[in-house]
Amino acid sequence: MSNAMMSRRRFFAASAAGVATLSVARIAGAQQAESQVNTGAANAPMESDRYKPVQLAAKGAPLMDQAKRDELEHHLHCQCGCNLDVYTCRTTDFSCEVSPAMHRDVMALVAGGYSAPEIIAAFTNVYGDRVLMAPPTSGFDIAAWITPFIALLAGIALVLVVLRRLRAPALAPAISPSAADATPTEQARLDALVRSDDR
Amino acid sequence: MILIGELSLWVALLMAAWGTTVGFAGGHYKRPELIASAERASYATFGFLLLAALGLWTALLHSDFSFRYVASYTSANLPSVYKVTAFWAGQSGSLLLWAFILSGYSAIAVWTNRSRNRELMPYVTATLSAITLFFVMTLCFGSNPYARLDWIPPDGTGLNPQLQNPGMAIHPPNLYLGYIGTAIPFAFAIAALITRRLDAGWLAAVRRWTLVSWFFNTTGIILGMWWAYVELGWGGYWAWDPVENASFLPWLVNTAFLHSIMVQEKRGMLRKWNVTLVVSAFLLAILGTFITRSGVISSVHSFAQSNVGTWFLSFLVLAIAVTVYLVSTRLNDLEAKAELESLVSREASFLFNNLLLVGIAFAVLWGTLFPILSEAVTNNKITVGPPFFNKVNVPLGLALLALTGIGPLIAWRRASAENLKRQFTGPVLVGITTGAALFAFGMRDFGALVAYTLCGFVTGTIVQEFWKGVGARRRMYSENAVMALVRLVARNRRRYGGYIVHVGIVILFAAFAGLAFKEEFDVTLKGGENYAAVDPYGNQWRFVSQGVSRYDELNRQTTAVLLDAFRNGKRVGVIKTEKRQYMDSRGVPTFQPATEVGIMEGIREDVYVVLAGVIGEDTAEMRITFNPLVWWVWYGGLIMAIGGLIVMWPQAERRRAQAGYSTVLQPAEQKA
Repeated sequence: MSNAMMSRRRFFAASAAGVATLSVARIAGAQQAESQVNTGAANAPMESDRYKPVQLAAKGAPLMDQAKRDELEHHLHCQCGCNLDVYTCRTTDFSCEVSPAMHRDVMALVAGGYSAPEIIAAFTNVYGDRVLMAPPTSGFDIAAWITPFIALLAGIALVLVVLRRLRAPALAPAISPSAADATPTEQARLDALVRSDDR
Repeated sequence: MILIGELSLWVALLMAAWGTTVGFAGGHYKRPELIASAERASYATFGFLLLAALGLWTALLHSDFSFRYVASYTSANLPSVYKVTAFWAGQSGSLLLWAFILSGYSAIAVWTNRSRNRELMPYVTATLSAITLFFVMTLCFGSNPYARLDWIPPDGTGLNPQLQNPGMAIHPPNLYLGYIGTAIPFAFAIAALITRRLDAGWLAAVRRWTLVSWFFNTTGIILGMWWAYVELGWGGYWAWDPVENASFLPWLVNTAFLHSIMVQEKRGMLRKWNVTLVVSAFLLAILGTFITRSGVISSVHSFAQSNVGTWFLSFLVLAIAVTVYLVSTRLNDLEAKAELESLVSREASFLFNNLLLVGIAFAVLWGTLFPILSEAVTNNKITVGPPFFNKVNVPLGLALLALTGIGPLIAWRRASAENLKRQFTGPVLVGITTGAALFAFGMRDFGALVAYTLCGFVTGTIVQEFWKGVGARRRMYSENAVMALVRLVARNRRRYGGYIVHVGIVILFAAFAGLAFKEEFDVTLKGGENYAAVDPYGNQWRFVSQGVSRYDELNRQTTAVLLDAFRNGKRVGVIKTEKRQYMDSRGVPTFQPATEVGIMEGIREDVYVVLAGVIGEDTAEMRITFNPLVWWVWYGGLIMAIGGLIVMWPQAERRRAQAGYSTVLQPAEQKA
């Protein structure tokens, strides 16, 4: 019974839609309603307008070979909406139009005699810091780099405090020579251990 | 069936609400009939969610495109197996899977505890019902898989090609099983906090559940890595993508808990810390789902995003508020019951292990969320990519690896200098020898040398532990070596299963370090042309293109390139790399073309070929990568899973004290 209902509904829907163009338009609408958002390498939504030219006048002979240039491209974030660097995106995804365009700019700058830091600076001037694969180590963004280590140091300090507190009651009766003897060496070992963790 | 499923979802909503209410009420007023009703409600919720799930599967298999979900994620010509897996391709289906697994877990937890932990169970049942209620509410009001279209499209949009892969068929449910597994320990922690029964009783109840969660989390992550490696085509298996990070966070915290739980069991210490870890694992799982679902951060794995972010954020805030309140009002009940005897003891080493695991979790969480923070503060979009995570986490990971070798060598309570010397000599020598040998063979990468030295050291520790255990058994029971090894593991599953997990970890680290020697080449070849390259081991490779071919298969058009591969002049095989253009049943292309990577696997290295594009008729642009030791990632993962299973396996007989192994599982306060 529900099957009959469905085929009738499908029939009405089809005849109402009539022409294929209309149903295509509607499919597009349905996709919008719950689209399969996919920013993966191969299927990133293409937005070629995300590409911005980075061009500077040539100033000398190239300073880099191809391997160094590829290495440089590993540090530039492709702007097509993927999470990849320019090198990886352009060699993975042949539907991406942004990474080959960025690659052409890199090649032109390399040919124009610019060094890696100069090229990266040129890209950041145009795109901003998001063109880097990692946060810059200046300004507020340095917090990204140091906070985990500050947290770790705080954690080590906390652990040491906790250890001492847990140990404090044990220390009181531990004035007996046998227990006290071992402590300095153990302490030294632990300190060494802590220092080796604390990088 | 579909209609039954749709209605069942609403009945499940009522059931979960009922279970929550009567569970808390029954616990509070100590009314057995209410408690019994709450427990029955949790079975009923499971039953109704099962029906709801079967309903959605029916709709998917019958290609009933009147449902938006079916129309959005399948097409008539999709192979049936992917119609089944399309269940979790989108958001509302994934949420239904969450709710369904959670209710299944709840039912199992209620059933297995029907005559145990009775003081805790009303609140456990109620908390689990409340979490289920949240998911079912989100399903019913936020993102309903049974939502209908007001018209019926002739065909569906189809399933994203990247999801048409066996890895995708099993890895999301696997990860969900891991994620949701954190809910049961969370519920027990909440119940223990409410009832102030914070002795070791609740810990024993949650240990196995944490292991279950850890096991599925581990296998889910490894399968996800495998999927990313074979399907996404960017050349690696881990990109520190937000979704990957989200799955890694609960794993780190669960791992920390599985270690620190031993300290509480044996010594009665770290009680506050353990509660915090159990609660954090669950909250991080929810946060992970929020990150994936809300689209606040873009990711390669997230194939479904929409408006349920607010739901998750509200739930997260509520859960944090409740737990902070409960923990802060019960601090006194969580005081340590024993004292630390020495700073050089297993207890202390576990503290540092926990510190590092949680430190890594913090660094990963921080890096994942930092773009939001930075944009809020500086109004400037930035990228926090793999270079950041690698730089920050590699030192932490190596320190953790070192502790994996150090921890088992230090005795509980107090280690004497003599004892330390005896324990450390062997493993340290193995480590130094490994590092020196690799240096002598020409390895110069500092990070890799450190990693392999530590891998050698940890291996030395593990072998020494097994050696001593086997030796003791041979002396005591005069068994042969094999029998002694088997019995050793079987009688001390927790300890030696744990060491097997450590073996897996060592293999994984060794494989990760191998990536330092990865080599990539851009190659453009016409049919018949060849390309020569040298791999990281110094072998001469030659790849000969057999040309580009195009043909139709199932629901796609394939463009393939075949490469003959020669190593040192000897032909070793053919590599096929493809681009696939998927079609719907009317022959209209759907989605962007997808990559199908050509991989020649080997225990030394994978040859990984991505077809980047085709120029004209017969010229293929490819990226050829030598990926050293990737094979070991999958098998290291397998060994971890086996170790996990050994630890999890129910222990039939009563544990006996073993040589070199003091009595286990006796809470300190009982011994005292």
